[in-house]
This record gives sequence, structure tokens and C-alpha cells, in this order.
Amino acid sequence: MLDETQVLRTSPEEPAGNRGGWYLLTGLVLGLILGLVYAWVIDPVVYENTLPSTLDEGDKDTYRCMIAEAYAATGNLERAALRLDILDDEDPYYALGAQAQRALAEGRSEEARALALLASAIKSYQADSEDLLSTPPLPTATQNILPTYTMPIATSTPQRSFIIFDPMNNDRHLSLAG
Amino acid sequence: MGRRNRRLIFFVLAILVGLAAGLFSGWELNPVPFKGTSPDSLRVDYKGDIVLMIAELYEAEGDSGEALTRLAFLGDEDPASIVEEAVVFAEEHNYTAEDLVLMRALLTALDASSEVLY
Repeated sequence: MLDETQVLRTSPEEPAGNRGGWYLLTGLVLGLILGLVYAWVIDPVVYENTLPSTLDEGDKDTYRCMIAEAYAATGNLERAALRLDILDDEDPYYALGAQAQRALAEGRSEEARALALLASAIKSYQADSEDLLSTPPLPTATQNILPTYTMPIATSTPQRSFIIFDPMNNDRHLSLAG
Repeated sequence: MGRRNRRLIFFVLAILVGLAAGLFSGWELNPVPFKGTSPDSLRVDYKGDIVLMIAELYEAEGDSGEALTRLAFLGDEDPASIVEEAVVFAEEHNYTAEDLVLMRALLTALDASSEVLY
């Protein structure tokens, strides 16, 4: 009888002893979830000094459209290509073409025209760049006689060749560009 | 202190430890992905280039209203101060004289249009 009473008294204590670790773990997990919800949803990290390649797709489209319109206004293809480059599109030609189609479908024909114009210019620019890269280097001897950093002076007169007769040598003529 | 109170204190402490771990993980170790950022968070040189694009378009179109609409892409800040910041950056970083002229022309146009409004 006495033994049974002791058993009855001690039995409610045993689960409490086993729960010792579990309630701490529950608190820890609860805190962890609350912390993550706060850090990811309520007050997430705000990025500053970001790159255009990290913009969301809608903003990238606006950026791309501005590049195309600026190209249509200035005709500066090199600058447009550099600007497109920072958007980090896998294929800028495809991205421009796809956006032009979307703009056309939504009735923004001016925007579509600018985008298509830049797309075609970029395609030829890419082809030119590839040609330049695939051209084998000139032999060293030839490279040495090429003029460097000499820009032609712009004149309104087109270039012509003049043949001058050399009186000292009847067989020889001097050819000058003038 | 009763056993029950001690357990409650440890439970709250466990929550606080978990909270700290969650915040550290969410802000430092594994923050929200670096994608889908907004244009107003762009680095100052990229903002400057966008202002230059808008100045190039303003030079071609002469439409300050359209320029204001385009500047709204860079956020809610006052458009004139966005352009002013870009001009200062351009001056400090030796933009070409032509680009500076375009940007200053845009700034002048925005100042003029804000004077008309107020």
C-alpha cells in the first residue's frame, strides 16, 4: 500500500523532468522564427549603391527603353552598348527585341521603334566586334610603319590624288594625296 | 524562486536567444536576396548616367514635363536635386564638357519650370 502511494506521488514528476529540455528548445525555435520573420519580412535589409543588373525586371525594361530613346536621339551607339552592358542581359539583342515586341503589343509604337532600332544597331555592332576579334594580328614589321594617334584633319574638300611629273626623271611620277 | 518561475525565466531567455539568432541570420548570414532592387538605391555614378540620358533626351525633345516623368524613375526625391547631385558628381569626375552642358541645361529647365509652378 505504501509503495503504491509513493509510485502515485512520483509519477507526475517524471514527465516534468523529461520536459526540461523541450521547453527550452521550443522557446529557442519560437524566437528563431520570430527573428527570421522580422529580419526577412517586417524590416528586411535595404541595399544601397546597387548595380543596374540587380533591378527588378520592370525597372530594367524602363532603363532599357531610356537607353534606346537616348540612342535614337543621339545616335551614339558605343555609349548605348556600354549602357546595355551594365544591365548584364544574357543576350542584349534578344532582350531588346523581346521588349520591342511587348511594347508594340501594348500599343507603345514609338518605344517599340526605338527599341527595334537599337536592337538592329547592336546586332551589327556585335558582328563588327566579333570580326575585329577574329582578325589575325598584323606582323610586327607592318605594325611599326602604321601611323599612330594621327587623326586626319577634317576638310570640306574630298581627297584626291595628284600625279606630278618629275623633270629630273622622265619615267618617274610622284603621287601625292591632297 | 519557485520551479515554475525559474522555468518561465529560462523559457523567455530561450526565446530571446532564438530571436537574436534569427535576426543575425536574417540580416547578416542569409539576408533577403540581392535582386529586385529599386532604382533609387542605384550607385551614384549609375544615377548620374541616367540623368545624363534624360538630359540627352531633353536636348532632343525640349520637353521638361517628359524629363520630370523620366526623373521619377529615380525615386520620390525632388527632381531638381537629383539632377543637381548628378551635375556635382559629373563635375567632380571629369565628364566631358558636352555632357556637362546637357546636364546643366536640364537643371536650368527644371529650375525654371519649378519657378513657374511656385
